[in-house]
Amino acid sequence: MSIEAVGITKRFGAFSALDNVDLTIPSGELVALLGPSGSGKTTLLRIIAGLEFADSGTVRFDGSDITDQSARERRVGFVFQHYALFRHMTVFENIAFGLRVRPRKLRPAKNEIERRVKGLLSLIQLENLAHRYPAQLSGGQRQRVALARALAVEPSVLLLDEPFGALDAKVRLELRRWLRQLHDEIHITSVFVTHDQEEALEVADRVVVMNQGQIEQVGSPDEVYNYPATPFVYRFLGNVNLFHGRIDEGQTYLHDAVSPERATSHIGSKTVYVRPHWLEIRRQPDHENHFRATIKHINSAGPVVKVEAVSEWGSPVHIELSQDRFRDLQLTRNEAVFVTPKEVKVFDGDPAA
Amino acid sequence: MNEQGNRGTLGDRSPSAPSDEFELVQDENTLSMATAVTLRNPATLLPRTVAATTEGPLVRRLLTGIAVLFLGLFLLLPLTMVFASALAKGFTVYVESLREPDAWAAIRLTLLAAAMAVPANVVFGVAAAWAIGKFDFFGKSLLITLIDLPFAVSPVVSGLIYVLLFGLQGILGPWLAAHDIKIIFAVPGIVLATIFVTFPFVARELIPLIQAQGNEEEEAALTLGASGWRTFFHVTLPNIKWGLLYGVILCNARAMGEFGAVSVVSGHIRGRTNTMPLHIEILYNEYQFVPAFAVASLLALLALLTLFVKSLIEWRSKQQVAS
Repeated sequence: MSIEAVGITKRFGAFSALDNVDLTIPSGELVALLGPSGSGKTTLLRIIAGLEFADSGTVRFDGSDITDQSARERRVGFVFQHYALFRHMTVFENIAFGLRVRPRKLRPAKNEIERRVKGLLSLIQLENLAHRYPAQLSGGQRQRVALARALAVEPSVLLLDEPFGALDAKVRLELRRWLRQLHDEIHITSVFVTHDQEEALEVADRVVVMNQGQIEQVGSPDEVYNYPATPFVYRFLGNVNLFHGRIDEGQTYLHDAVSPERATSHIGSKTVYVRPHWLEIRRQPDHENHFRATIKHINSAGPVVKVEAVSEWGSPVHIELSQDRFRDLQLTRNEAVFVTPKEVKVFDGDPAA
Repeated sequence: MNEQGNRGTLGDRSPSAPSDEFELVQDENTLSMATAVTLRNPATLLPRTVAATTEGPLVRRLLTGIAVLFLGLFLLLPLTMVFASALAKGFTVYVESLREPDAWAAIRLTLLAAAMAVPANVVFGVAAAWAIGKFDFFGKSLLITLIDLPFAVSPVVSGLIYVLLFGLQGILGPWLAAHDIKIIFAVPGIVLATIFVTFPFVARELIPLIQAQGNEEEEAALTLGASGWRTFFHVTLPNIKWGLLYGVILCNARAMGEFGAVSVVSGHIRGRTNTMPLHIEILYNEYQFVPAFAVASLLALLALLTLFVKSLIEWRSKQQVAS
């Protein structure tokens, strides 16, 4: 089922949580709402679920207006960050709850409920824990039960609020891959909220980047990462170096120090963004395309080596290079090197930093 | 070549046996050294098994002794005295004092007042705690303060409020008299006064509990299609049942034991508007010690039962949390 949110505005007192937000989610997609805390992502999700109501705007499921419907009527599956399992019910009873509370006419027969719950238990790989209580499960198991409980009512859409936020790093990684696989199997329109860019980029078909109650960009993980529409998206989706720069005759200059003879012209003054892995450390100067830096700190634990340096004009620079390249260079602390930017990003209308 | 290699490894292994023995000897050495040190200064090597915050044995025994003495003198002794005095003239007299019509009427009235006050309290307490715990609204802190009011004012004042409202000289008095409705010096007054003084018990118990539990389980139930009532009875109520029971127990104990407020509105009509505490006072003032203590022993027994059930509930709810 497709989801359409048109002109959604929501205020909490003086705080504007959502400001005239439009979002369309095609049927069957797995979409991530990504943003820092306070960006309005959870509020938007709760408005779609009917747990919160917008001050103005319309929500449509498959084209039909459901703005005034309650959460009960919308038939959404909702998964909470802290699981919100019914603590006095067993795993089985938790999953069966949505079926058991149906009006008598729509309620499946007892053995049918049992069959469906068992099916879901095998889907979440917890068949032998059916009679445990939530307190007896690990965080990852609880979240899977919460997911099964949401799926039991055969919802039209699945909404997940920071589903992996309360889990430790390793379980989180496992569970998000599992969610991706699950979605590939059942193809239910799903929206999940996260502040973890890695999670959003890895799991989602489409990423909605939000900031201060507005949508900054909607696109595939590749699009938002490699072709960020705004400086915010660029900065939020990965580490970045900010340089004061200029554009002159189609050329980008980092800081005045790069080409002092042209420093008089400040017409194209800009903020220049460079990802740490687009900066290359060299021992030799590369014509005009370089600046000098002094290495201050090296962290070689991990798949890439992270180098903290200070540029010739005194600002910190983060550089990432491969372990191979690091071994070839034999870098040491306080060594003076040349840094060559291989790719930079400049946004139109973005003033200088 | 291979054989030689194998022999080589076997040969390598054999010296390891003596080295093990050597290590054992070394262990013995260190052990004996340790005992030597222990003998000189046992305190330094013994592991500290007591908590850092614990006081010395003298202070501990003194404080414990004072507490036990105080408990015995001011609690245990009076309690035994109640039962001893009640049974002073034998068990038959004790039972007779309780079967006496006025005593029996007092017992019934007390039970009636409690039976009315407790359900009223449960309904009000759950509703108030639900509203305060789950929602934000204007005047919330005022409501919380109002709930505490009966705890803050003297019970005599609580009783007087009802006299001023419903008494013959009171605001509603003439109207009530004209319609032949008796509240003051009658059973309704006693029930009202009891409800008033027990007002905060259930609400006070539940408000922090509901606040701590938050809204998420209810929201989950809602998205799963459960109605409001269904959510309340199947999700909210099971989560607060131990707190609720605890509040009910305390409320019941207070309802049966209340003296001040009830005394003001009762009028002390024997066999009609006397509750157990009031009846005890009258008997005592008439020097009828055995009947007075017999009825008092019933109240004391009730208190003990209350404490027992309270402990049981605390134990059960702790188990629930642990599981």
